[in-house]
Amino acid sequence: MDLTNRNASRGVFLGALWCSLAANSALLMGAPSATPQQIEFFEKRIRPIFVSHCYACHSASTKPAGQLRVDERYGLINGGESGPAIVPGDPAKSLILARIQNSDPKHRMPKDSEPLAASEIADLTTWIQDGAAWTPEQVPATALQKGAYYERLRAKLWSLQPLADPPVPKVALASWPARGRSGDIDRFILARLEEKKLTPVADADRLTLIRRVTYDLTGLPPTPSEVEAFLKDKSTDAYPRLVDRLLQSSAFGERWGRHWLDVARYAESTGPSRNIPYPHAWKYRDYVIDAVNRDVPFNRFIQEQVAGDLLPASSPDDRDRLLIATGFLAIGPKDVNQRFKERFLMDNVDEQIDTVSRSVLAMTVSCARCHDHKFDPIPASDYYALAGIFSSTDDAAGVRSKMGGAGLEYYDPDMLIKLTSHVVEAPADQVAQAKAAVAAAHKEWEVVKDTAEGQALEPDGKSKAAHYRDRYEKAQIDLLAVDDLGTRGFAVHGVRESAQVGDTAIRIRGEAERLGPVVPRGFLTAIHVPDAPAIAPEHSGRLELAQWLTSEKNPLTPRVIVNRVWEHMFSAGIVSTVDNFGSTGDKPMHPELLDYLARSFVREGWSVKALVREIALSRVYRLGSKSGPQQVAADPANHLLWRHAPRRLDAEEIRDSMLATSGQLQPKPAEGSAARTLRMIEMADNGEEARTIIEAADHASSRSVYLPLLRGVTPKSLEAFDPVGQSLVTGQRESTTVPTQALYLLNSAFVRKQSLALANRLLNEHVPEARAIGDAYTLTLNRAPSAAEVAHAEKFLGQYEELYRATPPSSKPPATVTPVVNTAPVAPKRDLAGQATDEERLGKPVVEEIVEPAGPKEAAWMSFVQALYGSAEFRFVR
Amino acid sequence: MPNQVPEFIYRRPSRRELLRSAGGGFGFVALSGMLGEAALKAAVNENAAGPLSPKSPHFPAKAKRIIFLFMEGAISSLDTFEYKAELQKNGGRSGPGGGTLAASKFQFKQYGQSGSWFSELMPNIAGHADELCWLRGLYTDTPAHPQAVVQLHTGSANAALTRPSMGAWLLYGLGTENQDLPGYVTINPPPNEGGAVNYGNAFLPAEFQGTRISDQGFMPNLKAASATTLQRRQLDMIQAMNRDFAAKSGAPDPVEGIIQSYELGFRMQGKVPELLDISKEPQTVLDAYGVKPGPEGSFARQCLMARRLSEAGVRFVEICQGGWDHHTGLHEGLINRCSLVDKCTSALLTDLKQRGLLDETLVIFGSEFGRLPMSQGPDGRDHNITGYPMFLTGAGVKPGFSYGSTDELGVKAVEGRMHNNDFHATLLALMGLDHLRLTYQYAGRPFRLTNVAGEVHKAIFA
Repeated sequence: MDLTNRNASRGVFLGALWCSLAANSALLMGAPSATPQQIEFFEKRIRPIFVSHCYACHSASTKPAGQLRVDERYGLINGGESGPAIVPGDPAKSLILARIQNSDPKHRMPKDSEPLAASEIADLTTWIQDGAAWTPEQVPATALQKGAYYERLRAKLWSLQPLADPPVPKVALASWPARGRSGDIDRFILARLEEKKLTPVADADRLTLIRRVTYDLTGLPPTPSEVEAFLKDKSTDAYPRLVDRLLQSSAFGERWGRHWLDVARYAESTGPSRNIPYPHAWKYRDYVIDAVNRDVPFNRFIQEQVAGDLLPASSPDDRDRLLIATGFLAIGPKDVNQRFKERFLMDNVDEQIDTVSRSVLAMTVSCARCHDHKFDPIPASDYYALAGIFSSTDDAAGVRSKMGGAGLEYYDPDMLIKLTSHVVEAPADQVAQAKAAVAAAHKEWEVVKDTAEGQALEPDGKSKAAHYRDRYEKAQIDLLAVDDLGTRGFAVHGVRESAQVGDTAIRIRGEAERLGPVVPRGFLTAIHVPDAPAIAPEHSGRLELAQWLTSEKNPLTPRVIVNRVWEHMFSAGIVSTVDNFGSTGDKPMHPELLDYLARSFVREGWSVKALVREIALSRVYRLGSKSGPQQVAADPANHLLWRHAPRRLDAEEIRDSMLATSGQLQPKPAEGSAARTLRMIEMADNGEEARTIIEAADHASSRSVYLPLLRGVTPKSLEAFDPVGQSLVTGQRESTTVPTQALYLLNSAFVRKQSLALANRLLNEHVPEARAIGDAYTLTLNRAPSAAEVAHAEKFLGQYEELYRATPPSSKPPATVTPVVNTAPVAPKRDLAGQATDEERLGKPVVEEIVEPAGPKEAAWMSFVQALYGSAEFRFVR
Repeated sequence: MPNQVPEFIYRRPSRRELLRSAGGGFGFVALSGMLGEAALKAAVNENAAGPLSPKSPHFPAKAKRIIFLFMEGAISSLDTFEYKAELQKNGGRSGPGGGTLAASKFQFKQYGQSGSWFSELMPNIAGHADELCWLRGLYTDTPAHPQAVVQLHTGSANAALTRPSMGAWLLYGLGTENQDLPGYVTINPPPNEGGAVNYGNAFLPAEFQGTRISDQGFMPNLKAASATTLQRRQLDMIQAMNRDFAAKSGAPDPVEGIIQSYELGFRMQGKVPELLDISKEPQTVLDAYGVKPGPEGSFARQCLMARRLSEAGVRFVEICQGGWDHHTGLHEGLINRCSLVDKCTSALLTDLKQRGLLDETLVIFGSEFGRLPMSQGPDGRDHNITGYPMFLTGAGVKPGFSYGSTDELGVKAVEGRMHNNDFHATLLALMGLDHLRLTYQYAGRPFRLTNVAGEVHKAIFA
């Protein structure tokens, strides 16, 4: 079957289906062909049983005991922890009947109550035998008559049209564009400026240029010797060689890999509501950095992350690399405390659809989870066509959902992806020993747990049983340490094909348990991709999705990535809403240029490095940032790019720049992450584990991209400057100005430590003061100070030293401080096994690090360096 | 498409860009001629004050500030604030939907002209019976703490799309009165249950996030790293460099904001610790609140800090007492918890009233959900999201008033039903904001605190 047709016609087919629904005003869903008599029987005889005897524990408004819900048909069929509660047509296999008739009152339902009446049991049996009819879902008559409306939207939305092949425009100022291919970029820009009778401002000077391009390509400042070499190099290819050197440096991958990690909402834990670490996520981070450095073609890069497990591998190492790449889909935020397993599944599917569609296509598909998209031509049927692909995929992040779980209950070792190479066998004797210890601890706990003795509180406020439970859990953790592949580092968060692959049903109003009609797996019908492959019945469809996403005919994918690259070079995309190319997003400022770049990007083999190079060598990229009265009057916001807009460094760049210039930066990539030793157990955001992570981040001297990044546990050295949110695809960082930034720069231990380190470094040069001041400027601001600035600095140093002598530092003990909560190592707050104590809740005080210089001279120099770090100039690149 | 004339949607140029476009550089002089003095002043003031400057509400506000006393873990209202005669009569019988009804073991009494019932656990709060405005028909969506706490604070429990907290929305909508202080302070927030999400700004700009302070009054980086004279000298150096930088042609817009934020930060170092230092309060006040060191005195300290912060103009202050999750040990647990909050909550209300602050301040007391009338084990109650109460008092709400109710056993809200979204809509309305108009464009659509729902319950308005 030709999938193209199938896909294209699906909208029409469903449109017709919905129309007929509307005519009928009600459609039977989930329980096909129930007669009015069956419905009546259900409403009169069956639903009241559920309502009066079961809802207290098994419905949407309660905690569903055993994860079972009886207020939806699907909840009964899907069942809870013990399996399906009913099998329509088969009373003998329907667990619910066994449980309500169990002779042991301890195991009989309803719990702690009289057994159901014989007539009620008979009714339930009849109902199941008869197919378990349920009152059908009502589909609103207004829904989904959108065929024509969507066709109009589709025809109107610029981003869905095929890539144009615009001719490079002619320009009057023919000498202005750069030589070579980059000059075409300039012609597109200049033509528009000339239309408005504007001219670009003068080029940036070489000092500004090397600072700019070094930051933009590597996220680090140029060293003084790099600056000097570039300024001296008068050859015509000095600048292209500089760009090539930067593209070749591993720092390029650290910077541009970080850009992708923002988009991939990279994080090392599940986030709210129960924060479970992802201790292997850093391998995905390293995969991204490596792929960017090796310039893996962008289409291949996407294919690896969406379907790496399904691509052929050249070696066991390559196989592992491809498995790790699929971490992209698995490391999203997850609500492991979700009480309904179907909802957990569908929430994660939704998260994956949102991430893939916004990162690669810049389309907000998630709106169609609950209803047809209001602004973009995306019907709910398209959403569930994609949902079928992801629900046929195991989201192997290593977690399961459980309401009110504790300790290891959220960890599912089988739901990790096992690596294939370098796996070391578990030592059999140690495993046997650890297993025996688990069995013993379990027995001890079982004996005491339901006794009065076990419930008695011990002096620390916990029950005796809780202590035994902790011991049992500790033994389990010890066992994992010797025999679990994940704990031993031989498994990762990723995805794989599910055992059961198939299409899924539309969910009414997005509610996971309310099933509408099933739709075939497929892609977005609004995006016409003529050569899209058909999804094989035995495939989840991820491989085909990856091919569809990266097809040369897909108009969105190349436009979106080209725009992202442009944004990182100019601080604003050609389309300013970089993650939204839908109707509510902005339109491209230079549409022809966008298509020109997208086309050449595809033609040149999807090379991000080649694109960055092309842009970096353009004249427009090399413009100065000075203002011009005529241009400001005509285009105050610089939409037409008559100058280069300055940008604030991001949180990582600010931290890395301080480390680099103070001489403290560890040049080698960090090995792994501080989060790699965490167990997949809930972590309070201020508990012992979180504190360990924060402290590791405080003391780390590697680049910021390697800092541990658990959701809700932001390293202090990144916190002040709008760090990435980590919960959604983020193509553009915020850049706010708040007083906490000032306080951070004035008082934080990190900034003071770097200031002291650089001050000592300068003092140890033993050069004349003016020279040392010059060195400080050159290092931190990449420029020499003016004579007035040197004079000002000298005056400052003298006065400060004197003032410091007069006001010696108070030798107060380190300020004791604060919050920090919950220090229980393996048993954070539990629903039923006892609450956290007040001490745990308020936590141990932590000590803020005090950084003090050795004497007045050091103090003055430290204060001076800190002033440079604190200056606005330090945090802007022009 | 290549020949199509592109349709521009221009970003609005910043005020500074406009100023520059009018005169170039710091073109105030040229601009003043064009716009007139008054317009210029307005323009510059708005620019200078920044996003936290006080903004006009959508309609006249009934309250200026909020203090939220959050009882994390879900207080059992059937043992404290809700007297249910039917429940007291039917203890031991089967409850609706299964389970066994458990009558409260505590004695209830009516107080004040309003005749509101309070149990013996809350004798001091009971003394304010005629000032309180009860919402007794609240309900929410998820009977699990993490989601319910997050929903109470942000309006949504969706883990994948964290939303701004209600304090952040208020700052976004109203700004704050005292520019020398953070506009939104949360003291001792829960470390779990969503953590920082509960006072975060999510996709709103960072200016609007809550500032977290411990119950000892600690805030990171607030303590000056060197003596004031030294630091002022250093700051003068920084500001001189900043002014030079700002004067250069094509300097980035935010530099002027940076200069101001340094001055604000410097002032905060002096003011905030002073404000949080409750030790200088008169002994009578300390005694009235029951201030003491250690965890037992935590909530009393928070109440007193809340009064001081609110008095100084902080728009939204939240304080927190946890430990109400009584699945077991309900009896002893409640006695203990109530003893931590009853006296100081009452003292806070009295103090606010005496200072005339209650006319401008709305105080809220409540949990993420309630607890069931059925027993759980020998001495516990499980979660109830279908009906539970909170009280409001102070600015804008009817005193001695009770709105809505649960059924005769206290299971389900039957009258004056108020969903979490309705609760938020009503709070915003009291603060002068229309929840339908307080929107922020993000990820392709406008977002609200109340999602796509929410109804203002005006019946409680004074």
